[in-house]
Amino acid sequence: MKILDIAFKDLTRSFRSAFAIGMMVIAPLMLTGLIYFAFGGGSNDSPSMPAIKVGFVNLDVLPAESPLDAPLGDNIRSMFFDESVESWITATDYVNETSARAALDKQEIGIAVIVPQNFTERYLSGNQDVQVLIISDPTLSIGPDVVENMVTMMVDGVAGGGIALETIMERSQANGIEPDPVQFPVWIQRFGDWYADFQRNLFHHPDKAAFVVVAPSAGETETANPIQKVLGLTMAGQMIFFAFFTGAYSMMSILREDEEGTLARLFTTPTDRTSILTGKFLSVFITVILQGLVLMVAGHYAFGIIWGEFSGVALALTGQVIAATGLGVLLIAFVKNTRQGGPVLGGGLTALGMLGGLFTANIPNAMPAAMNMIANFTPQGWVLKAWRMVMDGQSFGDLLLPFAVLVAMGAMMFTVGAMMFRRRFA
Amino acid sequence: MSFAVEVNHLKKSFGDFQAVQDANFFAASGEVLSLLGPNGAGKSTTISMLSGLLAPTSGDACIMGHSIIKEPEHAKASLGVVPQDIALYPDLSARENLVFWGKMYGLRGTVLKSRVDEVLEVIGLSDRQKDHVGKFSGGMKRRVNIGAALLHKPDVVIMDEPTVGIDPQSRRHILNNVKELNQLGMTVLYTTHYMEEAAELSHHIAIMDKGRIIAYGTHDELIKMVGEQTRIDLTLNTEAEKILSAWQKTEGVSKIDSADGKITALVDDSNRVLPRLFDAASKANVRITSVDIQEPNLETVFLHLTGRALRD
Repeated sequence: MKILDIAFKDLTRSFRSAFAIGMMVIAPLMLTGLIYFAFGGGSNDSPSMPAIKVGFVNLDVLPAESPLDAPLGDNIRSMFFDESVESWITATDYVNETSARAALDKQEIGIAVIVPQNFTERYLSGNQDVQVLIISDPTLSIGPDVVENMVTMMVDGVAGGGIALETIMERSQANGIEPDPVQFPVWIQRFGDWYADFQRNLFHHPDKAAFVVVAPSAGETETANPIQKVLGLTMAGQMIFFAFFTGAYSMMSILREDEEGTLARLFTTPTDRTSILTGKFLSVFITVILQGLVLMVAGHYAFGIIWGEFSGVALALTGQVIAATGLGVLLIAFVKNTRQGGPVLGGGLTALGMLGGLFTANIPNAMPAAMNMIANFTPQGWVLKAWRMVMDGQSFGDLLLPFAVLVAMGAMMFTVGAMMFRRRFA
Repeated sequence: MSFAVEVNHLKKSFGDFQAVQDANFFAASGEVLSLLGPNGAGKSTTISMLSGLLAPTSGDACIMGHSIIKEPEHAKASLGVVPQDIALYPDLSARENLVFWGKMYGLRGTVLKSRVDEVLEVIGLSDRQKDHVGKFSGGMKRRVNIGAALLHKPDVVIMDEPTVGIDPQSRRHILNNVKELNQLGMTVLYTTHYMEEAAELSHHIAIMDKGRIIAYGTHDELIKMVGEQTRIDLTLNTEAEKILSAWQKTEGVSKIDSADGKITALVDDSNRVLPRLFDAASKANVRITSVDIQEPNLETVFLHLTGRALRD
């Protein structure tokens, strides 16, 4: 009972400290919020990239006797009006370059795409000077790059189609077969259809792409929006960093009590020292659990983060709590007083967080292989790994390895720290 | 006679340093026993051993018959300890502090609530019970500090220099509290380096110096140790070293010591000795600027026993 009394008293003190609340909950939410608003969050229910407003001028016409059904300009235009991109591209037709430029000046659109007259004819004849004109608002950064890439991909695809047609003809002739020119439009159309599907799927269904680097496991729950996944990993990184900070900071209450004289006073009461230390450890454990739950709920409702299946989330959170409590006990066991505590927590946990990859969690392949290896020696690295697996929809069984590692690390650190505390306050 | 506190051959060493050497003293139930001595005498170390903060190197002590070594939890349950420094949670209210400390002494439910109410009444903070202790004045904190030790109605209250660094009004309040607690039947073990406090409060006084109990008895018994000797305090217009050796050799001076610009001498008969001191000062070309003749008191006893003033 006294263990609970001590834990409750410590929790009361922790939650009355503005600094503790700031570091436990507000700081991680604010940092994630910065990323959220950077991606245009706050205007929709779910965070997404701001819509790119494109004005399209298609002056292209189908040349006479062309094997194609439609001018290339129509193909390029269709990309921007496709339903698959309507959630992030708003395209409008303009009759000529002047009207598109006027709309750009009025900021009705951010980017104008102008396909010149006779583009198809000149492009198919191998004219190197022909080009699609892209004019953009100079204040935009991401949108123009996206539009340019889309146009380039489409034009490259057409070039690829030409190469494919030539190859078919060469191979047919080499085998003594004279290709039927009537079939050319059919082949080109077939290639064009395939390429359009390929591009669409590449963006929306990476698993259907020609090269799939990582095959998702069965039962993967796909996040509705890639930005949510970025935010999720950002939030996970922040949550882990501050969970470890909270673990150590809460444990520092034992040093604070030592300096305030209340620890000595506790030892004069008929309460054994094991109960006193257990009560303090329990309060750290509960604090880190509550912090994790608050951050997860807040992250879900504020930023639309989808954490994953309940069982996996529970396992990752438990592993995080065990590791954070263990490291907190161990770190503070080495600290002599609260004045030493600040630099140890600030420096030590930041360094471990960096090595564990917490600050680059949302950037794929940000860490070199050697650093990824080092992350395996930090509890933060394993907690991040667990959260990454949960958010990728990996199974409960897959999570058991990082969970087991976290329990082992946490138990080892806790045992060493607790022994040092018992010796110090014996 | 039953003893509330029995200390037997208690020792505490820190490496080669012997903080408490073979301490022996007793406090009967319902009395106030003061441990009197200068800073560093070993009072707080003795108190720390009795309250379970430090393990003795050897020896033992019993609180209400419970050995502090064999039955520490029972001994602690009989004790209420008032630490020298404020040991409270500044971010909890006075009531929350008292509730927490009451729980640590095993109080629960309605008993705890009523005891907290009673103690708040005794320390005069019922109307401020919801305020955080961190916002209290030094005197109010002292009162809560004492109150936290009284919640479980202990048989023995240990107060470790509770009046250090506080204003005269709060000091008087605390001294009155000690008397009231004693009237309620509690045994009080009180440490101080103020001989006036020990003289005013105590039934028995144990004088400590350099880790040893050098005298034990009632106030009158201790005063008798110095016989008919009188204490004379003198101040000079120059440094004491100029005349100290000459005065040490003066007939009728049994002990002499200087501290803080003041010379304290223990003499057999002040009427006879004072003229000799003035003569010696005149020969040494030293002018005496003030003389204070005092009847024997605990300061005199300490000077008699150690050759040093209590304030050293």
